[in-house]
Amino acid sequence: MAGQSDPNVSIFSGEEVEFMAEDEMVEIVPNMRMEPLNMLCGDFGPFYPQMATQVPMWLAIALKKRGKCTIRPPEWMSVENLTQILEAERESQAAFQVLPFHYVEISSLLFDYASGDISDLYMVRSLINDIRDARFLKVESSLESFEDARSSAVKVKNLSAMEVNVVRPFVGRALQSFYKHGSPDLVPNPEAMSARRSQATDNIQRRTLRRR
Amino acid sequence: MDPLLQESVLEKAGSIVRRVGSFLKMASYYDIDDILVEEQQRVPVVFQQAVNGVDIDPSAETHCVEPGSKVELPYWLAHELHLRKVAKMKVPACFNQRTKLELGADGASVDLRSRCLYFYEFGCKIAPLVGDRDMGSFLLSAFRTRYQKILAKAHNAAFTAHSKLLSYLTKEETNLYEAAQSSMAAFKKWRIGGPRFERASVLGRKRKEAN
Repeated sequence: MAGQSDPNVSIFSGEEVEFMAEDEMVEIVPNMRMEPLNMLCGDFGPFYPQMATQVPMWLAIALKKRGKCTIRPPEWMSVENLTQILEAERESQAAFQVLPFHYVEISSLLFDYASGDISDLYMVRSLINDIRDARFLKVESSLESFEDARSSAVKVKNLSAMEVNVVRPFVGRALQSFYKHGSPDLVPNPEAMSARRSQATDNIQRRTLRRR
Repeated sequence: MDPLLQESVLEKAGSIVRRVGSFLKMASYYDIDDILVEEQQRVPVVFQQAVNGVDIDPSAETHCVEPGSKVELPYWLAHELHLRKVAKMKVPACFNQRTKLELGADGASVDLRSRCLYFYEFGCKIAPLVGDRDMGSFLLSAFRTRYQKILAKAHNAAFTAHSKLLSYLTKEETNLYEAAQSSMAAFKKWRIGGPRFERASVLGRKRKEAN
């Protein structure tokens, strides 16, 4: 956890977000024969050599580590698709392109564990880094514009888990402050306030009397 | 000692009562900043009634305070005296016209830290008492302009590069800045990687070859 003094504003660490991303499904091609795996989260398999099947990321990585399968990179991780997305990201200053919610984590996991299964590894890696940087700059600029609106809110579509996670503590606190200073009851009616106050002091005095 | 003043001092001493009271007023009980605001910030007050048996000025000849005398008191005491109509609060120096003009002109580069470390919190507390109806919108607009500057710097720069900016920020803004910095640092740490799990040394060697 990234040392938050205020427990109300919580943040997931990068590792925790990655852990959640490991539930995403990915296609693998096993090279062994295995009975279906019956897990709490679902049944996976049966596994036959050269027959593609869908498993969660964590299972794919576990099998990959043992050399039991190759992972097929998801379709969006092709060079053409990523180039297209990067261009679109750079073109429009406001809109975010549709990418999987966990694209940062999934790509990073694949680069770490299955780099041999990705064709054009360097190209894909640098494209994803570029997309991520471009998107993050846009996140910042879109956050800049939100305090112009009357309501303290900002609408940013298609953000991914990691992008949200990075700005969460900042935005959470900023929104709290905007809410606090923007609330209309900051200056209450003075008469009502003094009336309430005198009532309160009455209560305190009564209580002390009873105690004696 | 004047019974009214005595009562308010007693109430301070029994701080639990006071904290519960402010808790009901939606401040948070354990918030150290909220406690410090009330301790540290001084408010100029004008006494409306004579108060006997107190030494506010040690060099005074009599042990009493004349009506109309001006004193600076900590917020917690001034607040209680104000509500009991013993003393009347004035607008503190950090919310004077000059500060308002400066913030209106170039909010982002005003050194609020030296004027009042808890500028916004203090402003919220003081506004209903001094009857300043514009305080809310003033604080909001000040925070807006300063927010933009913090946003521009917070997520992308090394901590030391902005020590000048940091020396201008109030406590609340510093918290905001540091929250952004730490989350960005955490993200960078994750991206660079490092051992995800404790690996056997054999596996570690194997991975290096793959890279």
